[in-house]
Amino acid sequence: MKKFVLAAAAALMLGLAAPLAQAADHLTLQLKWVTDAQFVGYYVALYKGFYKQENLDLTIRPGGPDINPDQVLAGGGAAVVIDWMPSALASREKGVPIVNIAQVFQRSGMELTCRKDSGITTPADFKGKTLGVWFAGNEYPFLSWMAKLGYQWNGPHTDITVLKQGFNVDPLLQKQAACISTMTYNEYWQLIEAGMQPSQLVVFSYEKEGVATLEDGLYALQGSIDNPKKLDELARFLIASREGWDYAIQHQDEAIDILFKYDTAGVLTRVHQEHMIKAVAKLVEGGEHGWGWLDPAAYQRTVNELLSTKSTPVITKEPVGAWTHAVWDKAFKKS
Amino acid sequence: MSRPAAAAALPLLAIAAGLASRALLGHAAPLPVALFVLVTIAATAAALFALAGGTSLAERLASPVLFGLFVLWVWEMLVLGLKVSPVLLPPPTAVAVAFGNHYRTLAADFRLTYLHSVVIGYAIGCLLGFAVAIAIDRSPFLKRGFAPFASLMSAMPIVAIAPIMIMWFGFGWPSKAAVVVLMTFFPMLVSTTAGLGEAGAMEHELMQSYAAGYWATLIKLRLPAALPLIFTALKLNSTLALIGAVVAEFFGTPIGGMGFRISTEAARMDLGVVWATITVAALAGSISFGLIALLERAVTFWHPSFRTPAGS
Repeated sequence: MKKFVLAAAAALMLGLAAPLAQAADHLTLQLKWVTDAQFVGYYVALYKGFYKQENLDLTIRPGGPDINPDQVLAGGGAAVVIDWMPSALASREKGVPIVNIAQVFQRSGMELTCRKDSGITTPADFKGKTLGVWFAGNEYPFLSWMAKLGYQWNGPHTDITVLKQGFNVDPLLQKQAACISTMTYNEYWQLIEAGMQPSQLVVFSYEKEGVATLEDGLYALQGSIDNPKKLDELARFLIASREGWDYAIQHQDEAIDILFKYDTAGVLTRVHQEHMIKAVAKLVEGGEHGWGWLDPAAYQRTVNELLSTKSTPVITKEPVGAWTHAVWDKAFKKS
Repeated sequence: MSRPAAAAALPLLAIAAGLASRALLGHAAPLPVALFVLVTIAATAAALFALAGGTSLAERLASPVLFGLFVLWVWEMLVLGLKVSPVLLPPPTAVAVAFGNHYRTLAADFRLTYLHSVVIGYAIGCLLGFAVAIAIDRSPFLKRGFAPFASLMSAMPIVAIAPIMIMWFGFGWPSKAAVVVLMTFFPMLVSTTAGLGEAGAMEHELMQSYAAGYWATLIKLRLPAALPLIFTALKLNSTLALIGAVVAEFFGTPIGGMGFRISTEAARMDLGVVWATITVAALAGSISFGLIALLERAVTFWHPSFRTPAGS
């Protein structure tokens, strides 16, 4: 009798809880890379329940090598993805109706790091050298810069040899390449942690060279933005994500602790994540209107940069409708 | 359906298929068009079935060619009719267009991957496997010592070996050839060792009665008897070599090669080029397999597997 009462009580509670649980909207976020401090804001928001407060049941899907977030978006695997703008614009031109709804990284963290003993001191020294870059959508800023410098990287007579580098820094450590692509928050610190001294490296920052393009931003399909219910979900997603990022930047040690809870592969190291979160914070902050607002002038600079490469254009015509402030305004604009 | 009737019906079915395609692409009223397409597919399948029994060369070639065209047509209709996004699965016409537009790139990739990594790696791997098998046969010490080590090597997954080979041999084709050597070595070793045991006891005693030494017996009796199994390994290795070279390229390469093309163009959503590269790889693999099979037929014509059954 006692067991029956307990079971009935449990069933009643579950029955009451179920409608409450069903009320939250499901949303999937596809990251551009694996779980690390590059995406700390979303993980902090998830852990601290900011998404739950906005009545969202968020699933975060980590990315990885050769996973193109735009393909996941086109295939319906996620409602919102993180991607770089050149890759998103290229996908848009291929027919995927992908739209920028927020620009999280206000500045570019991409750089080309060279060994000092390769003799490179300025971009003019790249001729005849081997340079590494990742592909899967990350190659566009690099190819754009090389075309701007006038270097032929493809075809029978090349000025530079381009390597498809893996997601590690071995080519530079083992002198298989004179320069490799690094992010200020990731691979550069991998080099330092592997034992290289800053004095042995020459770093060319894309921002300083004037060839930077916009990086981590949030993208969704046009269909989601046209649907009022989905638009509202995306706006609530932005609100909670901003809270998560603000909290993470202010409590960086706690944020790293939270990251470790989501590190299922067990590959994160504390030292590397500490470097990463500091560098990422520098990229996220400083936006004119606050977190996530896409500056149309920055967008136009990226588009001009991409259109200016005559030899192998990333995009061939000016994109129309590639970004919107509708979601950001719904979330944050005080009307 | 009798064969003449099937052969006569095919031109009509082709016209019906063309009309169905036009109607679908013109987005005419859905239900009648869908029924029309289904009936055409069923009738074509029936005709192909009826044609399958023929013995003349034309009839034997007709079935696979027609079936191939049929599959391509169904693919095109499904992709266009179901409005599948071109970044997920492109129609065959898009693949053909990509072939035409990127012909030079595909040829360069083929040269780099196939003629360098695959052919050279295949040759070295098979020769090495063969040589080690002979050495094992000669030396009982090696037989006992090397066999477990060789089976350990064969169990290593190539996605684990490839990055290590790239670290050792650099980003160019030598590292891909090294992966191919590792992949083709073990099947060749096993098959040659098995083949060396194929010659029967009576034949061995005959050679002994002629006072033939080890090497004479090897060259005149045991190796010819081993040839069928060696060719099995050669055919298997031709496909393994292609797989190894393409997958090894996913892990780092100067920007050329079939594996590089597949991985980067897939990430760039240019699936027409991806499928064009896949077609080139499939053709290369099939043609090399076929060439080795032809060579096998010429060299080991005496083997029972090549005899046709009596009366057919």
